[in-house]
Amino acid sequence: MKALWIAVGDLRRMFRARANIFFVFIFPMLLILVLGATFGGSGSARLGVVSSDSGPLGTALVRQLQRTPHLQVVPVTGAAALLTQVERGNVEAGIAIPPGYDGAVRAGHPVMVRYLARPDQSSQQLGETVRGAVARQAALLGAARFAVAERSAPSFGAALARAEQVSPRVPAVSVTETTAGTALFPSSLGQFDEGAWSQLLLFLFLIALTGAAAIIETRRLGVARRMLATPTSPGTVIAGATLGRVLIACVQALVIILGSALFFGVRWGQPAGVAAVVILYACAGAGAGVLVGTLFRNESQAAGVTLLLGLGLGALGGCMVPLEIFPPTMRRIAHLTPQAWGNDAFNKLVGHGASITGILPQLGALALFAAVLLALAAWRLRRVLVA
Amino acid sequence: MRATLLICGKDLKTRLRDRSAVLIGIVVPLGLALIFNSIFGGITGNSKAIALGVVNADRGAASARFVSGVLGAVGRTGVIAIHVEPTAARARALAANGTLDAVIVIPAGFSARVAAQRPAAMQVIGNVGNPISTEIARSIAGSYAADLNRVRLSVATVLAAGGSSAGSPARVQALAARAAAAAAPVAVADVSAKSKQLDQKSFFAAGMAVFFLFFTVQFGVTSLLEERNDGTLARLVAAPISRVSIIAGKLLTSFMLGLISMFVLVVATTVLFHASWGNPVGVAVLVISAILAATGIMALIATFAKNSEQAANWQSVVAVVLGLLGGTFFPVSLAPGILSRLTFVAPQAWFMRGLGDLRGGSLSAVWVPALAMLVFAAVSSGIALTRLRHMTEV
Amino acid sequence: MTGEPMLDCRGLRRSYGNLTAVDGVGFHISPGETYGLLGPNGAGKTTTISMIAGLLDRDDGEVTVDGRPKAAIGYVPQELALYPDLSARENLMFFARLYGMSTADAKRRCAAVLEVTGLTDRAGDQTKKYSGGMKRRLNIGIGLLHRPKLLILDEPTVGVDPQSRNAILESVEGLSGEGMAVLYTTHYMEEAERLCDRVGIIDHGKLIAEGTRSELVSLVGEGDRVRLLATGNLAKAAAELDGHPWVRQASATEEGIDLVVDDARSNLPAILTTAAAADAAVRSVEVTEPDLEAVFLHLTGRALRD
Repeated sequence: MKALWIAVGDLRRMFRARANIFFVFIFPMLLILVLGATFGGSGSARLGVVSSDSGPLGTALVRQLQRTPHLQVVPVTGAAALLTQVERGNVEAGIAIPPGYDGAVRAGHPVMVRYLARPDQSSQQLGETVRGAVARQAALLGAARFAVAERSAPSFGAALARAEQVSPRVPAVSVTETTAGTALFPSSLGQFDEGAWSQLLLFLFLIALTGAAAIIETRRLGVARRMLATPTSPGTVIAGATLGRVLIACVQALVIILGSALFFGVRWGQPAGVAAVVILYACAGAGAGVLVGTLFRNESQAAGVTLLLGLGLGALGGCMVPLEIFPPTMRRIAHLTPQAWGNDAFNKLVGHGASITGILPQLGALALFAAVLLALAAWRLRRVLVA
Repeated sequence: MRATLLICGKDLKTRLRDRSAVLIGIVVPLGLALIFNSIFGGITGNSKAIALGVVNADRGAASARFVSGVLGAVGRTGVIAIHVEPTAARARALAANGTLDAVIVIPAGFSARVAAQRPAAMQVIGNVGNPISTEIARSIAGSYAADLNRVRLSVATVLAAGGSSAGSPARVQALAARAAAAAAPVAVADVSAKSKQLDQKSFFAAGMAVFFLFFTVQFGVTSLLEERNDGTLARLVAAPISRVSIIAGKLLTSFMLGLISMFVLVVATTVLFHASWGNPVGVAVLVISAILAATGIMALIATFAKNSEQAANWQSVVAVVLGLLGGTFFPVSLAPGILSRLTFVAPQAWFMRGLGDLRGGSLSAVWVPALAMLVFAAVSSGIALTRLRHMTEV
Repeated sequence: MTGEPMLDCRGLRRSYGNLTAVDGVGFHISPGETYGLLGPNGAGKTTTISMIAGLLDRDDGEVTVDGRPKAAIGYVPQELALYPDLSARENLMFFARLYGMSTADAKRRCAAVLEVTGLTDRAGDQTKKYSGGMKRRLNIGIGLLHRPKLLILDEPTVGVDPQSRNAILESVEGLSGEGMAVLYTTHYMEEAERLCDRVGIIDHGKLIAEGTRSELVSLVGEGDRVRLLATGNLAKAAAELDGHPWVRQASATEEGIDLVVDDARSNLPAILTTAAAADAAVRSVEVTEPDLEAVFLHLTGRALRD
């Protein structure tokens, strides 16, 4: 049908510019990669550790730190480098095990391990975790030193060995952990998962908005008027214009979904659910794009507005930082954007393994956005074309 | 010189009338900074102290020592707020709905079991959505437990030597007392470091500003391509002015647009969002270096294009990739390995680094980043200039 | 016209890869003279004048201008070269200052040019809002702004409606009347005939002929055709006319007499007198002179217009 031809024409026109291929396909993948690499494994704090010449006991302490959950040990070469890393924020905090740690402990001297933190909250809060890890090792060391002091062991090494041997049999004071509340992120979320769906939503909308430029170009070149002069109803022209953008968005989504699944092992959830979200969301984006195209005459002005809307709504809708950490008021405001509903839907699909029936409220909201935006766009386009 | 200024003036007049330059240079980055600011302005997590609940169902010495001694000291640091709750059930409910980030529960009979050398347990209730807070609670409790265990272990180690694993209660008590009196072998000393990091507001202000800078400066040299296609370049070449002055005029336009945009953004974000950019002299040095780098790189790309549309496309691709790599959207320096090194291929990264270092240090911290950006500027401009001469041939 | 030539170019040569666009073109223009460069599309007219105006580097040849280089030349390109987002006044002021005029001088000249081009009322509107004709007038106006000694016009009437075209031709006539030297390229023979004191015919990058209209036409060697519609003793009249030395051919036809003569314009009175004396009553006279098209055809074997 005619609308499809118009749509395919749009698609071909769009991909003639190679820059478009970059923005539509390559850049989103790049962003997913960089995001995943940077923030994947969030829930872990990075701790810089300096432990040169600290001896076997120092190495043992580092191992203790490495075993601590939600802590990622980053080896650093020296105290000066550690300071720089901490100050720059490359690591959340740093710990410096002094050279000669091993000898000092064995000799019974008091030993100081330096914990380096920035004045901000998270750095300082991390100190407790570090203290905990140190304390666990200190228990063994203390027992060994005590044994030596009580002359119950010939050497520190022997005492330590005995303490380690005895330790499992000693009735311990332990700490048990239980969880409360519904898990926001099940611990099985992959490194790239959350970044992937939020970037997909961000870019689908952004690229759909660039349809505005295509609409403006069509108007400016007079092609639209030419189309209307043919026995094509305005309705078909409009349908063709929007269908084109929806097609582009779906192709883009397909490439991103398949690509990220293939290269980064991203999971997307139930295909039916994913398809429903993508199609409805793409319709909303297409509508928005056409609408913007009818409001401006100038392509470069439209480009500025496109960027502002695309990035702005994306940020508001939780595509750059997860909605979970939004303040409550902002979270409510966020749901004025289709992005937020899209993010919620994917969260359920991937994070909670929901099926399409589980995301019906979100689909409903997206459908509403799509309907309203498309209706507005069609109305405006008719006025602008026929005027 | 005069011709250069005339051409620059004409271009600026045209651009400012066009409104698209104003959009990209000022409205869009400011708008985005505003949005980010409202999202991150009141965000929980980094700016709030951890809410740690404690339920003391025990009335003994060990638990009292924990609550008043250990937790008391933790609470005084100000980074963790201690909330005493009456019952475990209530505390669990508060942890479930997120009011409390984590809870430590000391069950009844804890102190008795500790004194009797029997196994004892403290309980941590955490919210799975808040792993770091939970871990911190676990560590606090664990530290205390570890210290109690140290005493037990010390006693046990000594007793084990004697071949008999149990001594007389009196001996055990004496040993325990001495073990408890012995200092912990390793202590952790807090050393504070400065923050050479921009706070979140300033980070987004600076990031958006420098990201869009690379779009704003595009209008300069790209207009040379436009004029060539429109035919007005012929008029410029026919006029009694040097070709160099035409090129210089276009480059100057880029620079001026970048300067105006950055100036407005720095002032606006400082006044409206209370972003703190730092020492004005340092900021000025960094901003000017960044503008020169952006002008040079974008100009260089334009010299490879056949028309202004193609130039704009390529320039946008490069601007976006460099902006991403350079950490204008989020700090890529956190990423491990090659990514954190690759970031310095982008002048934007040097700009952000310069501002961060300026925050935590003195004015001299800006010289290296500024120099790096000037190198970008010099190399790209140099190559661009040799190619631009050909572009002015009609 | 005597004295130093306004423009003297010799041996101009320019190639694009294997194609030689201009091959050894040279001519001169005297002050106040209108020189036409006539040739079909692709002959090398634009390339030649681009070299003269300093827009294009020459592969070979010299260009000497009487006056400061570039400042003495006013250039009107074929396509409209205007800044669309600026008003006519802003366009003019910009170029005036670019050509080194002081602000006061620039303002005076702008006002004058706006007056001459009839754009004073719309001077403050952005040129993108102008009609095609207005843009053309401004396009020429910019070339005149700095009082050039030589005005170069590159095919200014291509694609222009007849009315505007006539207006342009009239203004060029006016300019040369004021003493400005004009270099005018075109592929329309009528314009070259009407405007130019001398014409250079250019084809495939070479200047194949040059001179005044009469000089060029005489190259063809055809003579003018005169057709008389007459009654009476036609044979006798034809024979009488043939007796004149400047009559090459005279033949009687059913309706009158057909003649081929030299310089019909000057000899027309004699023709009529002779015919009357021979008892032929002349009702109408039609003179067909060879034109530059014929010259071109004679020289190249091809038509001037494609």
